[in-house]
Amino acid sequence: MAANRMVDVMGKVCPLPLITLAKEVRTMQKGQMMSIVGDDPIFEDSVIDFCREGGHELVDTQREGKKVTIMFQV
Amino acid sequence: MNKKGTILLLSGDLDKALAAFIIATGFAALGVEMKMWFMIFGHNCLKKRKRLFARRRTDPTREGLYRDLATDNILQPMVEMMNRGGAEHLPLSQLNLMGLGPVLFAKMLKKKNIPHLEELIHSADELGVKFYICQICCDALGLSVDDLIVPNVEIKGVSTYMKDTMDAHVNLVF
Repeated sequence: MAANRMVDVMGKVCPLPLITLAKEVRTMQKGQMMSIVGDDPIFEDSVIDFCREGGHELVDTQREGKKVTIMFQV
Repeated sequence: MNKKGTILLLSGDLDKALAAFIIATGFAALGVEMKMWFMIFGHNCLKKRKRLFARRRTDPTREGLYRDLATDNILQPMVEMMNRGGAEHLPLSQLNLMGLGPVLFAKMLKKKNIPHLEELIHSADELGVKFYICQICCDALGLSVDDLIVPNVEIKGVSTYMKDTMDAHVNLVF
């Protein structure tokens, strides 16, 4: 599945990935797909919590070493 | 019901202000409606840094709305001079080392890619965090709302704080 929006937060630490994510999600419509990539050690937890709080559905998680790519439905 | 939270920042120390703003921005990003209250030296992080002997211009038409200018004396300009604030110029509560501590701390934050206080304040503002300053602190310390780095700061009293904290799920005090 292709993402409507790709967000790169590589090198950013807590809470910047969340701030970026919140700002991006506000500009998107419901049902669109968002893909976010980051390498913060607590990045994956943050995005999972963000999705649960906002009622977004996690679609896919890919890990390559430190790099984590998460796709979810807004 | 929307989740709500309030933060009360009393301290003018960099570490406490940083913690308060990291929590505020994080919570706001997760959809919590955040309100931040600043009392006593807590508002130092919102102040625009001025020169040591900067002339203080008082606009009675604006400042008179939330301050009693008639009871001002020499102490207000003195406090203004001694307590200049500025988000990037706050002292640390530990290991301040006569002003060297915050410089090293800023270097450490930069190296670790952690945002500094001013960036976090602007992020909080963009995420819709609301800022409130205590009215009596404004009056006693001679603070002008026009001297702050963020617009939309409201001057309120303890009744509004009571209403907001009783409404909120969490209240943090730094």
